[in-house]
Amino acid sequence: MHCIMNLLQLYKADITTILPLLIADGGIRAGFPSPAQDYVTESIDLNRTLIKHPASTFYAKVVGDSMSGEGITEGDILIIDRSIEAQHGDLAVCCLDGEFTLKRLCLNRGNSIFLMPSNRKYKPIEVTRDNDFMVWGVVIYTIKANRRRLSGTERW
Amino acid sequence: MVGLVDCDNFFCSCERVFRPDLAKTPLVVLSNNDGCVVARSREVKAMGIPEGMPYYQLKEKYPDSGIVAFSSNYALYADMSARVISILRGEAPDVIQYSIDEAFLILEGMEGLDLHKWGEGLCRKVQKCTGMPVSLGIASTNTLAKMASKYAKKYPGYNKCCVISTEEQRQKALSLFPVGDVWGIGRRIRRKLEYIGVNTAYDFASLQKDYVRRRFHVTGERTWKELQGIPCIEIEGLEGVSKKTIVTSRSFPEMIRELDDLRSHVANYAARCALKLRRQNSVCAVVTAFIQSNHFREDLEQYDGSGYHSFSTPTNTTNEIVECAIRILDYIFRKGIWYKRAGIMVSGITPANAIQPDLFEYCPERRRRFSEVSAAIDRINSRMGADTVVLGTQQYRERSEDGKSIKFVNAIRRAMKSPDYSTRLGAFVVG
Repeated sequence: MHCIMNLLQLYKADITTILPLLIADGGIRAGFPSPAQDYVTESIDLNRTLIKHPASTFYAKVVGDSMSGEGITEGDILIIDRSIEAQHGDLAVCCLDGEFTLKRLCLNRGNSIFLMPSNRKYKPIEVTRDNDFMVWGVVIYTIKANRRRLSGTERW
Repeated sequence: MVGLVDCDNFFCSCERVFRPDLAKTPLVVLSNNDGCVVARSREVKAMGIPEGMPYYQLKEKYPDSGIVAFSSNYALYADMSARVISILRGEAPDVIQYSIDEAFLILEGMEGLDLHKWGEGLCRKVQKCTGMPVSLGIASTNTLAKMASKYAKKYPGYNKCCVISTEEQRQKALSLFPVGDVWGIGRRIRRKLEYIGVNTAYDFASLQKDYVRRRFHVTGERTWKELQGIPCIEIEGLEGVSKKTIVTSRSFPEMIRELDDLRSHVANYAARCALKLRRQNSVCAVVTAFIQSNHFREDLEQYDGSGYHSFSTPTNTTNEIVECAIRILDYIFRKGIWYKRAGIMVSGITPANAIQPDLFEYCPERRRRFSEVSAAIDRINSRMGADTVVLGTQQYRERSEDGKSIKFVNAIRRAMKSPDYSTRLGAFVVG
């Protein structure tokens, strides 16, 4: 099935605001609880940490489920940096025949390009010469809400 | 050398960045109330549809043309404009924004560089990072750079960048360029010129200097000189007034780091934009403010801030525009930076008699009061001299010698005027 996931809405990145929040600088372990959480010293401002090139950074919201295999699902927020040169393996917002689609790039040596979904329901898409194709921007971060209301994604 | 960057079909290109499906579809952008066409894509221009055509006529005359119309989204255009400028500032030694879709580049200290190659790279970078297609003209004067940018836009062979550097290139460029398209030659002068058989820029540049001065005064002579390759139009302080935008920006004689000092400058630029809007009997929908550090001082921390606000009901009153500019400034200001330049741009300009008031936020009484204050300020200032009456925020602060007390001085220093009077009246206007 040739399914395009629409990224319906793109947003400009407003990075003029500053919101420094404290960070536990021992790092949070996903395995065993770490006893060393008592020195909360540094602070982090997400705008400064996540966004290196404000002029070329855009936000978008995910619609569809073709990347659900790697945990990217509907309603997630993507931070896209257009200034980055796309490489093999990058998660990218692509523009295929006039439509936006979010996929991983598979750039082979033989110059073939495949757009890889991570949900088995969808098949890889090969980009051919007949396609109008460009990488719109490389996704540098995905922001995920881990508490979802039953009503779905409307909370954003 | 000087460069001029011009965005291709700016409003339409902004829309296309987010609608790649419309990359080849004919597009128009409509004025505030979807009244008439304010911007056309290349395809629409090729169809011979003029700017300003009422939308209903467009629908009647071209029912099956597949033209897609967008209502104007001035907040989007202001944002995209700021992005383009920001990329340019990262690449060129100095950048001066001239309108929402044009900026001059001061290309000092780039001798020995292949400017054409550099320019191509710059255009590619802007396109890649923002999605905005731009054309670049590079030459020894502003007027020639502007001409070069039109060549760059028109002929794909230039690969977005046209450089006029040799005498041969200059002469060829002049001879193929209609005189009416030369920057600074208005419709009235064009008619006069055509009457005496001057059709191309080359013809104009071949006229005798004395003759040009006599017939077309200082401004005509300046343009004439610029076409010869002699720079004489100072970009610094040049105020871009076009149909789409009005820009007032200056660099400060000395660098500034206090918010209060910046406020006075920004308030004055904003007041100036408001005055110009009223003079041409129009209103604006968006105010953009920007502040910049000194890019020639690499030893100092660099920061460029810009922000914009869109009015729910377009305005031209000094009070509203200055207040809005100051709010943006407070928001984008960062402590510890030495600032070198600030500016205000107003965009989304429409005739004042076609305002569509916002249903919920518009307060006719408040607007009427502000309009009356602005009209009164204009009357006094036109009789007594510019800046006789200013808002309190427009006043420059001056510290006393011991640095303890602060006194206010006039917006534009005038030895003949009594500052006290102005201070009190200024404060009264704000209150």
